[in-house]
Amino acid sequence: MYDNGLIFCAVTAAALDLCILILIIASYREKSSSRKRWKSFSSDMELFENGRSYYLGCDEVLIGRHGSADIRLHDMSVSRYHAIMTITDGVWTITDIGSKSGIYVNGRPVKQKKLHENDIITLGSRRLVFRKRRDKKK
Amino acid sequence: MSNPFSYIFSCLFVLIAHAGMLVNVFFNGKEVDTKEFVILCAAVLGLDIIYYFVMLFYKQHTYTVDFMLLLVLNMSVIFQSCFGGVHLSMKHYITCIVSLIASRVGYHLVRDHRWIQSKKKYVWVCIGIMMGVIVLFTGSRSMWIDLGFMTIQPSEFIKPLLVIACATSITEQQNKHKFLQFNIVWENIILFGITAAVCLLQWWCRDLGSIPTFAAIYAAGFLLRICYPKAKFSNKTLIGAGVAVLIAAGIGIYLAPDYVRARLFVNIWDDTTGNGYQQSQALIAIAEGGWLGKGPSNGFLHEVFAYESDIVFATICEEWGLVIALMTVVVILLIAASPLINPPLSYFHGTLCAGVCAAFTVQMALNIFGSCNLIPFTGVTIPFISMGGSSMATSGIMAGMLTAAQNPVFAKMKSAKPKKQKKVTGGQPA
Repeated sequence: MYDNGLIFCAVTAAALDLCILILIIASYREKSSSRKRWKSFSSDMELFENGRSYYLGCDEVLIGRHGSADIRLHDMSVSRYHAIMTITDGVWTITDIGSKSGIYVNGRPVKQKKLHENDIITLGSRRLVFRKRRDKKK
Repeated sequence: MSNPFSYIFSCLFVLIAHAGMLVNVFFNGKEVDTKEFVILCAAVLGLDIIYYFVMLFYKQHTYTVDFMLLLVLNMSVIFQSCFGGVHLSMKHYITCIVSLIASRVGYHLVRDHRWIQSKKKYVWVCIGIMMGVIVLFTGSRSMWIDLGFMTIQPSEFIKPLLVIACATSITEQQNKHKFLQFNIVWENIILFGITAAVCLLQWWCRDLGSIPTFAAIYAAGFLLRICYPKAKFSNKTLIGAGVAVLIAAGIGIYLAPDYVRARLFVNIWDDTTGNGYQQSQALIAIAEGGWLGKGPSNGFLHEVFAYESDIVFATICEEWGLVIALMTVVVILLIAASPLINPPLSYFHGTLCAGVCAAFTVQMALNIFGSCNLIPFTGVTIPFISMGGSSMATSGIMAGMLTAAQNPVFAKMKSAKPKKQKKVTGGQPA
């Protein structure tokens, strides 16, 4: 076995290694195309506040003070679980999930509201602008 | 198709990997019959090529899990076909095809998370039906239904259903109800009840090896629930849950049947013909196989009971070597870990992936560590590798769920009160 066997075992292992490597590389390539798809689906929006932007990277984005929130706002006026943003057919909706200070969109109190570009969302004493994502390199 | 080059290269290299293994079989196999070898080659490479063309009909954004699934399934066909002589294992080949079809079923079932969440009561009903089937048809000391031409293990089909049940309950964490002094989420109670009932049923059937898998699926869903809005799990709750698990494990060991306790505390080298027979033979086989193995069909472990299922890792180590066996494990782990590369975009799919990953990892760990005498021998199968139609089908469904999590559908959600919402959205700034 160990005369030719070593060579054939090495060939088998190398072929499998190479295949696994190619599949991992392919997975990373597919990841970039999935991101493009998500951008086109989600209208590539973000929340912006005082020079800091929060990317809306999945179809349910939790906003709150708690460590598990997707967008964490360190402010006592913001509830631990304040609001959730969801997307359907490219339209983002913000929903109050039982916050103490409520949600205001463009100054009006809302429980649930579809968002439009440049809407100003107020959560406690924090003001966030819902806008198109901008390239930081520019 | 968004990445034609990735698709073509993936197809090509999966084909090359299988061809490499077949070359090894031809030159290192024991008394290889050319006719049998040609049939094996035609079956493996033919399935590869057919699958590439079938997958072209599916407009997915990622095919990685599908190709990894094909890679590992055909690897298992080659492994199983070489145990005790080179000949196509037709039974395993058919179950592999069933597994591929099942992966498509799983893919379509959970791709649209809003749809499946609206049908969650049917998932509970399905779990109830499967449990009823176990009670009525398997009996208290068996886990199989014998249909004459084939046997079915109904408890296997509860695994993907429990994963879906955990995932569908994740978005209900906000719906708390006041009951006495407690704020209760009914779905959590139902889910815990289902898991406990399934585990008790497995105990009754003496399928104790599956209990850790069900517990792991539930634990994955439980832990992810902590991250969900309004779950409000305190450290006390977590510590309490941990203590409860330890107490349950202690009671389980105390109440375990004699043969189980004998396995827990057996020294396999003192009992090489009794309780320690399979493990001692498996360890000898792994040691004899070394890094590169004895060569396909050159081992002795195929004479030991359950060589193709419960101690399949040791059988592969003996004939193919530790390197190839570990690479097989890596491929299965990569399937389970694929959501880390291409993360799911919803809490539902995230929980789904965690449940599947937990099930695959625990099953593999129980089998491999059991074969190596690191933990008591359980008789749990390795997903995609061990022989067994029920296990292969359910593993296929769960792999399809992973594919679905990376290719989700964002369907249009029906709004309950569209007119009222229009009124609210009046003040739109320029």
